[in-house]
Amino acid sequence: MARDFDGGVDDSDSETATGTASSPSRERGRTVRNTIERRAIVGLAVVTIALLLGIFYYPVATVFIDSVLVDSRWTGRVFVSILQDPFYFGEPARFLAGEPVGAVIESVLSPDRRLGVIGFTAYQAALSTVASVALGLPAAYLLARYEFPGRRTLRSLTILPFVLPSIMVGVGFVATFGQNGTLNAVLGAIGIGQVDLLFTLEAVVIAHAFYNAPLVARVTTAAWESVDASAVETARSLGASPFRAFRDVVAPQLYPSVLMGAALTFVFTFSTFPIVLALGGFQLATVEVFVYRLIRDLEYAEAAALALIELGISLGLLYAYLRYEVKHTVQSRGIRPLPRRPLTPPSLSVRELLPRMGIAVYAIVALAVFVAPIASMILASFSGPEGLTLANYQFLIDRQTTGASFQVQPWDAVRNSLLFGVASLAVALPMGVVVAVLTTRDYRGRKLVDAVAMAPLAVSGIVVGLGLLRGLVFGVEVGGSRFAVGGGLAIIAAHAVAGYPFVVRTVAPGLEGVDHTLVESARALGAPRARVLLDIELPLVWPAVIAGSAFAFAISIGEFSATIVLASGTNQFTMPIAIERFIGRRLGPATAMGVVLLVVTSASFLLIDRLGGDEVGF
Amino acid sequence: MDRRSFLTAAGATVSVSFAGCAGLGGSDEASTEASSTDESTATGTSTGDAGSADETLVVGTYSAFVDSPSTSPGAWVKQRFEEEFDARLIWQTPSNEVNHYIERRNAGVDIEADMYLGLNTDHLVRVDENLDDSLFADVGDVAGQNDIKSGLQFDPDGRAIPYDTGYISLVFDGTATTAPETFDGLLAEEHAGDLITQNPASSATGRAFLLHTVKQFGPDGYLDYWSDLQDNDVRVLGSWSDAYSAWSGGEAPMVVSYSTDQVFADQNDANMEKHQIRFLNDQGYANPEGMAIFDGADTPDLAREFMGFLLRPEIQGEIAVRNVQFPATESADLPEDYAELAQEPPEPVTFGYDELKGSVSGWISDWERQFASN
Repeated sequence: MARDFDGGVDDSDSETATGTASSPSRERGRTVRNTIERRAIVGLAVVTIALLLGIFYYPVATVFIDSVLVDSRWTGRVFVSILQDPFYFGEPARFLAGEPVGAVIESVLSPDRRLGVIGFTAYQAALSTVASVALGLPAAYLLARYEFPGRRTLRSLTILPFVLPSIMVGVGFVATFGQNGTLNAVLGAIGIGQVDLLFTLEAVVIAHAFYNAPLVARVTTAAWESVDASAVETARSLGASPFRAFRDVVAPQLYPSVLMGAALTFVFTFSTFPIVLALGGFQLATVEVFVYRLIRDLEYAEAAALALIELGISLGLLYAYLRYEVKHTVQSRGIRPLPRRPLTPPSLSVRELLPRMGIAVYAIVALAVFVAPIASMILASFSGPEGLTLANYQFLIDRQTTGASFQVQPWDAVRNSLLFGVASLAVALPMGVVVAVLTTRDYRGRKLVDAVAMAPLAVSGIVVGLGLLRGLVFGVEVGGSRFAVGGGLAIIAAHAVAGYPFVVRTVAPGLEGVDHTLVESARALGAPRARVLLDIELPLVWPAVIAGSAFAFAISIGEFSATIVLASGTNQFTMPIAIERFIGRRLGPATAMGVVLLVVTSASFLLIDRLGGDEVGF
Repeated sequence: MDRRSFLTAAGATVSVSFAGCAGLGGSDEASTEASSTDESTATGTSTGDAGSADETLVVGTYSAFVDSPSTSPGAWVKQRFEEEFDARLIWQTPSNEVNHYIERRNAGVDIEADMYLGLNTDHLVRVDENLDDSLFADVGDVAGQNDIKSGLQFDPDGRAIPYDTGYISLVFDGTATTAPETFDGLLAEEHAGDLITQNPASSATGRAFLLHTVKQFGPDGYLDYWSDLQDNDVRVLGSWSDAYSAWSGGEAPMVVSYSTDQVFADQNDANMEKHQIRFLNDQGYANPEGMAIFDGADTPDLAREFMGFLLRPEIQGEIAVRNVQFPATESADLPEDYAELAQEPPEPVTFGYDELKGSVSGWISDWERQFASN
C-alpha cells in the first residue's frame, strides 16, 4: 500500500548525487530531513487511519452491530421488516413485501401515495437543498466577483449560521417568521397581509437554508477565487463574449463546488432532527426523530438498522457526487484570481445595472433569512419581562462567580470551546490533507474509500454519542483491568474526526485539478512528496484550505453529542452544552450564552481568514 | 498536537485533560460524564481518596435538578446534607440520564453512583423491560416513608419512592382565549390551531398529555381523539422548551405544561392573566418523581439516610419550591402563599406501573405512526 501512497515512485537514491559539495554533517542533516519528508505522508496516513478507527469506526460499529446481531444471533430480519414497512418506506415497501408490481405502481401514481418517513425525509432534504443553493449562489457571486468595503469580513462571517445551536435558531425564527414576528410587522406596515409560516414545511426548509446556504456560498466562493484569470482572458481574446467565457471557462470550475455544497446540504438535512420538531412539528418527523426515539427507548436493533439505512442513502449520494467530481475537475496551471468589479456601477448602462439590481434584491432576501433571525437572537438576549435589560448577562456573570462546581460556568465553556476548536483544527487539517492526497491517487475503488471517509458527516449524532460511550468511555477489559478513554484529548480527537471531511472535500478537488506536469517535474527534480504538497499543491488551492479550516473549526464549535459523552466533568463543557443547560422558562439566559457564542465564533472566523492570508497571487 | 501524545491517549487508562480535572482511575472508575468529581478546586484525584474519613454518596440525577437557570435544589440539598452528615455528596448528571446506567449495567461496567434521583414510572418500565439483571435494589426501611401521599407510590416492587410530583395541565393566555373545560372542547372550531403540545416520545409533558388522553378515551379510543385533534391543527413540537417558547411568543394561546406555571410567572413579575391554568375535565396528570438505590451500591445505608433526609418536612418544602413541583409527603412545610400560585388538580390521575408495563411503548408508537404518516 505504501507504494501507492507514495505515488509509486521509490526515490531512495535520488538525493545522494546532489550533495557532493557540502560537508558530511550537513549532508547527513539533509538526508535525515529528506527521509522524514519522504515518509511524512505515509506516517500521517497511518496515524489518521488509526485515529479514525479508534474514535469513529469502531465506536459506531458497536452500535450498528445491534442491527444484525440480535440476542447473540446473526439476523437480517430487522432490515427486512423496515424495508417492508410502508410507514418507513412508503409505497415501495409494499413492492419489497412482495405485492404485485402493477398495484404498487398504480398507488405510486395516485395522489394519496405514501412517501413513508424515509421518502418524506428525502423530499424535505431535496427542497432544503434547492433552497440552500438558491440562497447560497448569489452570495458566492457577490463575494467572489465584487469589491466593496467589508467584503473580507463578510466572507469570513458567512459560515456563522452554520454553528448556531438549534435552540437559538428556533428563537430567532419564531421572532422573525412567527405570527407576531418581524416579517409580519414589516409586511403589515407596507400593506401586504400576514403570512403564517411557522409549523409548516416551508419554515423548516427556510431554517435548513439558513444553516446550509452559507456552506454552499463559502465553498463556491473558494472555487471562484481559485479560477485562473488567464484562461478567461484567453477565451475573451479569441472573441468569446463575457457570457460565453463564463459559461465555457468559469462555470465548469464552479460546478463541482456547487454540487458538493448541494450534496453536503442534502446529507445534513437528511439527518436533521431538533429543528424540524421546533419549527415544523411532529407531522414532519424525519428518520432521525425515530432513530433518536428508538435509542432512547433502548430498541437498539431497529434504531441501528434505521440509522444504517439512513447512512447508506447519504453515502450513496456522496459516492455518486464523488464519481461526478473526478470526471469534471478542470486542470489549472496557476492561480491569478479574476479582478473584482466595484459594487457601485461605473456607468449607467443596462449591463452594469442589471446584475447589481439582482444583488440588491438578493440583499433584501438575505436580510430576512439570515440577518433578521440573528438580530432577533441578540435582541432576545437583552429582553426581559420589563423590556430591555442586562439581567441575562448578569446571570452569566453570577453563574461564573457563584455557581457550584457541578454547574456550567460560562467562561470555562468559552475557553473549552476555543481550546477544543483550535486543537481539533490542528489535527483535522493534516488529517484532511492526507486523506485528500490518498483519495486523489489512481487506484481501483478510491472513490469508495473517499465516500467511506466521509461517513462522519452522515452518521446520526445520537449513534455517535452512544458508540463513544460504549466504545471509549466504558472502555475494553484487557487482562482484568479496564482501558477507558475520556476527557479533553478524546474530545479533540472526536471533533477532528467530525471536521476533517470538510478539509478533504474542499482540498481534494483542487488537488485533482492541479496540473500533473507541475508535480511530476518537481518529483523528477528530486523533491519528496511532502515537499511538493507543501510548496506547490497546497499554495495552489489555498482558498480551499482556508475554507475547509473554517468549517472544521465551526464543526468543533457546534459539536454537542460527542462532547457531552466524553467530557469528564462540567469543567470540560463547551458553549453549546452551556446553552442547552441554560434553557428554562425564560430563554434569556440561553440566548445570552448564544450571543457569547456568536461573538466568540465571529472573532475566530475573522482570525482564521486573516491568519490564512488573503487570496493567493497577491 | 503531535502524534505521540495521541497514540498514548488512545491507549491509556488515564484520560488527560487540559482543564486539570480528574483522571479516570483504572479500577476505581471515577465518573466520566457530566459530573464534577472534584470540589470546585481542580485537584488531581477524585473519588476514593485515601485519608478522607467521610463517606461519599454519589447521586445520579437529571441536569435540571442541579443546574437550571432559574432555581434548582441541587446545591442547597448538597450543602444541607453535608453540614449534617459526615459525608460528601457528589451529583452526577449523565446526558442520557437513567439510560446511562442501564447501558453501564448492560455492558457489565461498574456503576459508580449509589442512587438515582428523578425516576418516573416509565423509566422503571423501561429498566425492567430491557435489563435481565436488576438495576435497583429494594429500598428497605426509610424514615418518613409513611408520610408519602397515597396514590403517588408508583413502584409495586418497592424500589423507588417518590420525593416530589408535578401535575401536567394546560397553561393558557387569558388575554387571548379561554381554554375549554373538557378534552372534547379542544376539538371546537374556535380552538383550531390553539394548542401546542410536545413530542410524547421525548418530552415528559408531551408524554403525560398523551397518557392522559389514553386514560380519558381508553387504548381503543385515544387515536380517534388524536385524529380529530390533528384535524383541528394541534401543534406537536419537540421539547418542552420548543413548545413553551413558541407559546410565549404568541404562536398559539394554549400549551401543555406544568400546573406550577404561575410560580415562575410570579418570580419574573409576569402578568398573571397571561398564565392561566386549566385542568381538563377537572383532572391533572400526575408525574411523580422517585429515587432508588442501585443494586450493588457502595454505601446503601448512607443512601437510605439521604432518602430519609429528603422526606423531612422542611426539606420536602424546600425541594418543592426550588424544583417548582409539589412535595411527595403530606407533612411538607410549604410557604403560605405557595398554594395560591401552584395549583393542584381537583382530581389527580396517572397510570401505575402495572398499567404501563407492556403497553406504553405500543401506545406511543401507534400514535407516532398515525400522526406522522406521510
